[in-house]
Amino acid sequence: MIAGDFLNVALILCLIGGLLLGFPVAFTLAGVSIIFAMIGEVFGIFSFSFLQAVAQRLNGTLQNELLMAVPMFVFMGVMLERSRVAEEMLESMGRMFGTLRGGLGISVSIVGALLAASTGIVGATVVTMTLLSLPTMLKNGYDPKLATGSICAAGTLGQIIPPSIVLVLLGDQLSSVYQQARMSIGDFSPQPVSVGDLFAGSLIPGLLLVGMYISYQAFIAIIRPSSSPALPPLEQEMSKADLLRSLGHSLVPPIILIVAVLGSILAGIATPTEAAGVGAIGATLLAGVRLDERHGWPIYFAGLSLIGMLVISQVMDVRITKQEYVATDWIGIGICILLGLLLLWGIVISLLRVWRTGILRTVVNSTMETTAMVFVILFGAAIFSLVFRGFGGEAAVHHILENMPGGAAGAMIVVMLVMFLLGFILDFIEIIFIVVPIVSVILFKMDVYPFSDPVWLGVMFAINLQTSFLTPPFGFALFYLRGAAPAGVRTGDIYKGVIPFILIQLTMLVLLVMFPEIATWLPRALFG
Amino acid sequence: MSFLEGFARTIDRLNETIGATVAWLALPMVLLQFLVVLLRYVFGYGHVAMQESIVYLHAAGFMLGAAAVLLRGGHVRVDIFYSARTMRGKAMTDLFGALFFLVPMAVLIIDVSLPIAIQSWSILEGSKETSGIQAVFLLKSLPVAFATLVLLQGLSMAARAALVLTGRLDTHLSPAARKEGAVQ
Repeated sequence: MIAGDFLNVALILCLIGGLLLGFPVAFTLAGVSIIFAMIGEVFGIFSFSFLQAVAQRLNGTLQNELLMAVPMFVFMGVMLERSRVAEEMLESMGRMFGTLRGGLGISVSIVGALLAASTGIVGATVVTMTLLSLPTMLKNGYDPKLATGSICAAGTLGQIIPPSIVLVLLGDQLSSVYQQARMSIGDFSPQPVSVGDLFAGSLIPGLLLVGMYISYQAFIAIIRPSSSPALPPLEQEMSKADLLRSLGHSLVPPIILIVAVLGSILAGIATPTEAAGVGAIGATLLAGVRLDERHGWPIYFAGLSLIGMLVISQVMDVRITKQEYVATDWIGIGICILLGLLLLWGIVISLLRVWRTGILRTVVNSTMETTAMVFVILFGAAIFSLVFRGFGGEAAVHHILENMPGGAAGAMIVVMLVMFLLGFILDFIEIIFIVVPIVSVILFKMDVYPFSDPVWLGVMFAINLQTSFLTPPFGFALFYLRGAAPAGVRTGDIYKGVIPFILIQLTMLVLLVMFPEIATWLPRALFG
Repeated sequence: MSFLEGFARTIDRLNETIGATVAWLALPMVLLQFLVVLLRYVFGYGHVAMQESIVYLHAAGFMLGAAAVLLRGGHVRVDIFYSARTMRGKAMTDLFGALFFLVPMAVLIIDVSLPIAIQSWSILEGSKETSGIQAVFLLKSLPVAFATLVLLQGLSMAARAALVLTGRLDTHLSPAARKEGAVQ
């Protein structure tokens, strides 16, 4: 329909204009769409009753169990950040590797990959990393280009390394769109795609990227030693044993936590929501220890009790929903209850500590803020997509993409370019809700490997967007870094600094196109 | 204090109180989720009402808190141009956006969700599971509550922006937003 297409083009142009005004994205999306729905109604090409579906969408979203993982991951991430776990990791890694050339930059990459994982908002992560590490790097004579480039890249990378909330959201969208698309091309029992699949798929590409960042930094440290000097040794030299102890102290607990959360999802034991809930409590326990190291024992006991309970439940039958019990069952159940009480004690102690220091208040408030932000965008995007579809937008996009020269590959290139450009004005979450459903359904329907593989597609989208956030002059990450960096750092240096990392990203994308198995192998190996 | 300023302050206080309260729902939410996991994986025990209560806590937390998040400036903006604008320019964006983007969205959501909520209340709709929480009507009222609170907050935002534009207020930011600083 010509009039519908015309209105859709106008809708998108007005939307971009509206977004650039700077009013909150969620409301702009909804508002501009509603205004166009009214225009469409006047011209008789849109029926307002279409928008009744918003109510079902809202109620469906409220009860979507998978999306409940979002607040829990945010809870976990903010708890780790506020209890200075990240800071301590960076400090002790800096001490360990800092005395090597390039060591500080490498530490930044590793910590970024580990800890940025749980938040999923580009801005917050980049700002945290900048405040934590940039001053130290500059003070020790790091080339500002290399320092800022490393921080931007590491800060954005966390988003695509599981567990991250953007991957939860992307997985949720891709799985429902994939189901519909397969059905519509006559496959009535499609292989379901889960968030676990996407987590598994993005793990290897994410780790490869970290590896490439580190290799680049090591390479620069060798060919241009002045760019990333070693830190001067501390006045009071720490013994090797002390160094190792501090490294173990700061690094091991968060790594165990992240591996446990991710592992239970990848092993198919827990849903992302369940794992995130456990991760949130785990982060609280960790914060409890950090706040009062000398009285850490109730919390160590709590951790041991948890492990004990899990072990006992494997070797003994402690289920409490049976008909008949034998004596040993009761012993097992008794021990588990005792351990449960110890665990409860540890959790209560931790909660008291985080509450007294005000951390808990910050954590619950940040959780609410991020969750509300994400879901209201989802609502706005739902309204937009109803109007866009009502105007026949999906059919039009389908038509355009199908007639691209080069078939599915051509369509893929266009999709990637459009997303890359949109990444300049929209955050990951918005693109997931607005663009991904519209374009991915078409690629799925084309049914050409690897373009129609949901996991591969998700990973490509994620790395593409991460690249967009790094690209001058509009990249999101650069703005946040600029805002948090000392005034002495020149914007031009930031721009120059990220270029090598952008090239690394592009290399990764090319590798993924040449060897799709980098993304698709692990989920298949794990889940079949 | 003018009428508009009093109006804005009253709404801000209302939403900040609600927001600061419902934020705490996140705590029982993660604790219950942890308990559910523990009971299931260790004791092989599942409890429908407990599982469902997590949904209620989660949904109430962000739906009732969304207006407070707006007050605190927590909803992301595209700030390429916005951050560089003067206070008047920002106030203009906020006035325009609140009236033409936010108000229609809130009104639409109330319009489509209210009949569903009323219907659900009229039969006191409960969970599909017999041992679940028999209060689905509360869940289905959340979109109406959400949109109403956001609508009020949008009007407060517009009022402040109007006061800035007429020179009767120095900043369009509410005290809460100023305290928070630039969240995003």
